[in-house]
Amino acid sequence: MTRGIDVGLAPCESCELVVRTHHRAGLCPRCAEPVHHRKLLWRPRAWALLVAAAVLYIPANTLVMMHTEQFPQHRDDTIMSGILYLVNEDAWGLGLIVFTASIVVPLLKILALAVLLVTTSRHSRWRRRGRTTLYRVLEVVGHWSMLDVFVVALLAAVVQLGRFAAVEPGPAVLPFAGVVVLTMLASAAFDPRAIWDEEAYD
Amino acid sequence: MTDERYPIPTVHHRKRGRPSAVWIVPLIAVIAAGVLAVRSYLRNGPTIHITFDTADGIESGKSEVRYKNVPVGRVTRVDLSPDHQHIIATVQLTGGGAVVAATDSRFWVERPRIGVGGVSGLGTLLSGAYIGVDIGASKEKTKTFVGLERPPGVTNDQHGTRYRLSTNDAGSLAPQSPVYVQRQSVGSVLSVDLAKDGRTLDIEIFVAAPYDKFVTESTVFWNASGVDVTLDASGLRLNTESLATVVAGGIGFGPREGTPPTPAAKENARFRLYTDRRHAMAKPDTDPLALEMQFDEPIRGNAAGVNVELAGIHIGEVVDIVPDYDEATKLFHYDARATVYPDRLGPAYKKLVAEGARKGLSGPQMLQALVDRGLRAQVKSSNLLTGAYYIDLAFDPAAKPVKLAPKDGVWIVPTQRGGTDLMLQKVTDILAKVDRIPFEQIGGDVSNTARAASSLLGHLDANVVPAMQGVMTRAETAMGALKDSLAALRDNVAAPDSALQQTTRSTLEQLDRAAFSLRTLADYLSTHPEALLRGRDSGPEPKGAP
Repeated sequence: MTRGIDVGLAPCESCELVVRTHHRAGLCPRCAEPVHHRKLLWRPRAWALLVAAAVLYIPANTLVMMHTEQFPQHRDDTIMSGILYLVNEDAWGLGLIVFTASIVVPLLKILALAVLLVTTSRHSRWRRRGRTTLYRVLEVVGHWSMLDVFVVALLAAVVQLGRFAAVEPGPAVLPFAGVVVLTMLASAAFDPRAIWDEEAYD
Repeated sequence: MTDERYPIPTVHHRKRGRPSAVWIVPLIAVIAAGVLAVRSYLRNGPTIHITFDTADGIESGKSEVRYKNVPVGRVTRVDLSPDHQHIIATVQLTGGGAVVAATDSRFWVERPRIGVGGVSGLGTLLSGAYIGVDIGASKEKTKTFVGLERPPGVTNDQHGTRYRLSTNDAGSLAPQSPVYVQRQSVGSVLSVDLAKDGRTLDIEIFVAAPYDKFVTESTVFWNASGVDVTLDASGLRLNTESLATVVAGGIGFGPREGTPPTPAAKENARFRLYTDRRHAMAKPDTDPLALEMQFDEPIRGNAAGVNVELAGIHIGEVVDIVPDYDEATKLFHYDARATVYPDRLGPAYKKLVAEGARKGLSGPQMLQALVDRGLRAQVKSSNLLTGAYYIDLAFDPAAKPVKLAPKDGVWIVPTQRGGTDLMLQKVTDILAKVDRIPFEQIGGDVSNTARAASSLLGHLDANVVPAMQGVMTRAETAMGALKDSLAALRDNVAAPDSALQQTTRSTLEQLDRAAFSLRTLADYLSTHPEALLRGRDSGPEPKGAP
């Protein structure tokens, strides 16, 4: 099958003008959008963002996510201790949701992107269609990982009763948000077309 | 191959071979994560383990460790010790709280406590117990601690000095008991423990700065617990340091009167704790002298502590009295051993010592000299009511000379039968006489008399009373007759028309007339005395002649 890259033609992703690329990336002569066969610098960008996300995943899970003041006691919860607290309180469903959204999904995103990047870099022919589907799933699921941040932001805004009851975000909120945002950016930087490449086109 | 209809994109030549700028993102992420990790590490200080007897009030994940009520850590786990005798609380200290891990830091569980010293830890009623800590001064750190079961009496941030007191009887002293100087509370008792020998008590006290400078080497401490009631010439005196000491006990201290100032005592200096202020203020005894006295007469009661007096001055006490048997005389005698402090005699003792030194006499020789002059020990009664007695060392010039025989380094003082003995003898004689009075027989006689009286009364009751009743009846009848007679008499005599009355009246009238005639005669005779001779003149008739 002939690909655009094989005949030196690529469409502008903005105005759909088909340009002769000569294997080079450039700007669309009509709308000045970048025109390229593959996303610009997709490999280093995706890798860099993925690594950053993986790094931030550690503090996001080990640091305190939420600080609860409930007179006369106060407690600090990491994501995991919060989930265990919910489970202990017999809120199994809620605990499962938080566990999935806050721990499993970010981890799976990071792992899946790593798998895609590694296989693509090695021009593996292994289950190309399946990997493409995986990429689409990643794109869709990405938005739903911010649940924890939303919960904390909401509680911190609502529960403010002075020293009797107060919720404050902990230091883990920022790294956690960073993980979510960086994995989204990494999956956006990744070019699924590269899954089908037999050789590198950068 | 390439369709010329398609335009060519504008090309920007990029420099290659350099790592993409996008790698700044993971770099930032690493830095951010690193900063967070460092911050988190700094926030979390070391983990320490504290052993307590009980986990009462300690909850894992909730109980805090507080220094001056500032949280410096949190209990993360509570486990049993391997031997199951204690609990081990695992505490995650905060970064700032790492200083509490000094080797000499002390930990205790702060709970609500109510004691004589006051109420503490009320806040823990609401917040739950927490672990209090007193940060030690040591620079070395450790990870395992043994917690105190009660808060320490004094914390390291309080300035002052600790001292150690020894005593045989701590009374009601307990940790937190106050320490007074001039009735001002300036410190407290930290601990009361048995000494290693198991006989005396070691009391650790704390005197707060700046009052600790008043504790000098010559300072005396006394037990100020309770109430000191003294009855003396000035009346009844009630002495107490403060009302609190009555309940909680306390320790007073002050300089011994009349002593020159001495340098301040060092930390942990040892002092003796006297039983009361009077004993503490008494001059310290030096040069104890062991004496032994053999008394023929029995000495009753608890002899230990009996006073030994010389010339009215209390110079020592009897240590114990041992009965002994003399084979030669087949008699018992009693060896009283006493410790005396001759320097209580003051200048007299000094002079004696000086005299002995001058004459080159040794101690026993000095005693022999005194004995030669008649020094004898006597048991004397100090209180006839209670039977209390003392041993009096007095000079008796008439005493027979005795040669001293030292025994095991103990100086033996010859004895003499004391006044108590004689007096007791007399009292005994009186008692014997009293004893000889036949109280029993007297009692029996009295009893017999009473019995006879009783039977007499019974006889009266049985025989006389019925007879008396007849007599009474007859007497009553007689009285009635008498009454009738009297009535008749009154009728005969007193009635205006009775014969007696009539007769009496006419007799009186005749008497009246006779008197009138006599008067007329007298008048006539006074005017005509010649009539006695010549007879009556024929003159007019005297008027009113009857």
